[in-house]
Amino acid sequence: MDIKKRESLDWFFKQAFKATGLLTICMLGGIFLMLLYNSIAFAMDIKPVDFFTGYQWNPGNANGKYSILPLLVSTGLVAAGSMIIAVPLGIFTAAFLSEFAPPKLQAVLKPVIEMLAAIPSVAIGFLGIVLVGPGIAKLFGIQNGLNALNGSILLAVMALPTIITISEDAINAVPKSYREASLALGADKWTTLFKVTIPAAYPGLIAAVMLGLGRALGETMTVLMATGNAAAMPRGFLDSIRTITATVAIEMGEVPYRTTHYFALFAIAAVLFLITLSINLLGEYFANRLRKFQA
Amino acid sequence: MLVSCSADNTTIKIKGSDTEVNLAVQLAESFHSTNPGLFVSISGGGSGLGIASLMNGTADLANSSRSINDLELKLFHQRGINLDSFIFAQDAIAFVVSSSLTIDSITPAELAAILKGSLKNWSSLTGKDLPVNIYGRQSNSGTHDFVKKKLGIDFSPHAKEMNGNAQILEALKSDNSGIGYVGAGYVIHGGSKGIKVLTVYETKNSKAVSPLDAAMIAAGKYYFQRPLFQYYKTGSFEKVKPILDFEKSTSGQKIIRDAGYYPVN
Repeated sequence: MDIKKRESLDWFFKQAFKATGLLTICMLGGIFLMLLYNSIAFAMDIKPVDFFTGYQWNPGNANGKYSILPLLVSTGLVAAGSMIIAVPLGIFTAAFLSEFAPPKLQAVLKPVIEMLAAIPSVAIGFLGIVLVGPGIAKLFGIQNGLNALNGSILLAVMALPTIITISEDAINAVPKSYREASLALGADKWTTLFKVTIPAAYPGLIAAVMLGLGRALGETMTVLMATGNAAAMPRGFLDSIRTITATVAIEMGEVPYRTTHYFALFAIAAVLFLITLSINLLGEYFANRLRKFQA
Repeated sequence: MLVSCSADNTTIKIKGSDTEVNLAVQLAESFHSTNPGLFVSISGGGSGLGIASLMNGTADLANSSRSINDLELKLFHQRGINLDSFIFAQDAIAFVVSSSLTIDSITPAELAAILKGSLKNWSSLTGKDLPVNIYGRQSNSGTHDFVKKKLGIDFSPHAKEMNGNAQILEALKSDNSGIGYVGAGYVIHGGSKGIKVLTVYETKNSKAVSPLDAAMIAAGKYYFQRPLFQYYKTGSFEKVKPILDFEKSTSGQKIIRDAGYYPVN
């Protein structure tokens, strides 16, 4: 191949790869701009103060109420609940996997855990309806198990693979010399884990939790199926809730084009986008700190 | 089965109501197998979209779960298009409670109070001190919209919004304080253990009507029933006639009944 051909080929591939990279960024920017544009149209109709302070989400008619608060509280509640379940479970599983599990067991457990991520969310939602929901109803003696607790349990299951995989990487990345130093000083395995390894892996663990939380916040189908979708302000984990994602999914289908309601759905989607974006950025930040710390 | 060809006389294009789209697809599939020479293309999008498509010529038949409104009618007149309509089925909404609840019939006013959340306890209706639990459809469902408009209320924010009729019935079976609404077809085909369909009466003196009473539905006597319309241009009657005839035939009526609607004779 002559040099000219090689050079032009080289140039071509360079541009092609650059284009694909830029395309991804453009998509992100485009989505953000579209959400922003429609949110501004919404802000023209409804005062942002009412949007963030009201108490009711009841859109659609002439004097509809457009308050994101009950939806935001619902989303926060179900995501927080899922983290309360998933974080200890995930981090301890990761610690077990990297510190205690014999290699044979590890070889089985790891792919199994990763397989958990491959279960479609609609299947998990189905489990919530037929299994977890009735279980909760029986356990707490309530009429119906379609509530925030149900959603939290299911989202915890969905966030677990993310949390376990990243936590395990973080714990594995702690230099062996740390553990050896601890053991040499007479500490046992447990003390080493809780006092040395886990604190050293901290940034990575936070990253794991943040990315898991991002997953839980953005999940739609599962919460739509399993949490009852009542748009009232929730008073606890045993109340039915309606998350932001479920609201958009339910209402987008029939909303009249370019009305206040239509713009409102973009506005709540924009709020959710900003929340998950900042949580993911925070997660990335901690993940990067881990890498620097190792380097 | 559903081939959408270019505009020709062998393809009947049907657009409109999402409520009816499943039924329309089933009808079209079996219509095509008996009339292999004719193709039917179906799409949803809402009653309004169907009527608009009829106006701009992208549909031959518009499915609509509401009657055409004055504004739309005016637009057709402006274009000099004459419309005809055909009611191919009746949809009835059943209100369902747990069979352990001591109530058999209810008035629209009581239903309105319950569903908008002002009546929070069963005690005044049944004498039992139980909180009311509402199981409704999601707001993108035609059934949800119909009940809301018919009663002229906004649903209580505490009303649970379920994914479909089956999920509502499932929840009501285990919840002795629940009330929900489903298309009547879903309670005809069995699965009625543990649940009870309420009859509806409008005034003290009038007879309570059950949504499962086909004769009363045909007479238009049930409060929560609505006709499912098909609109077409008078000029294209010959083109859509085969499918309208099929809907009136026994096999067409069986499909309509199986889909949970009441055929019109």
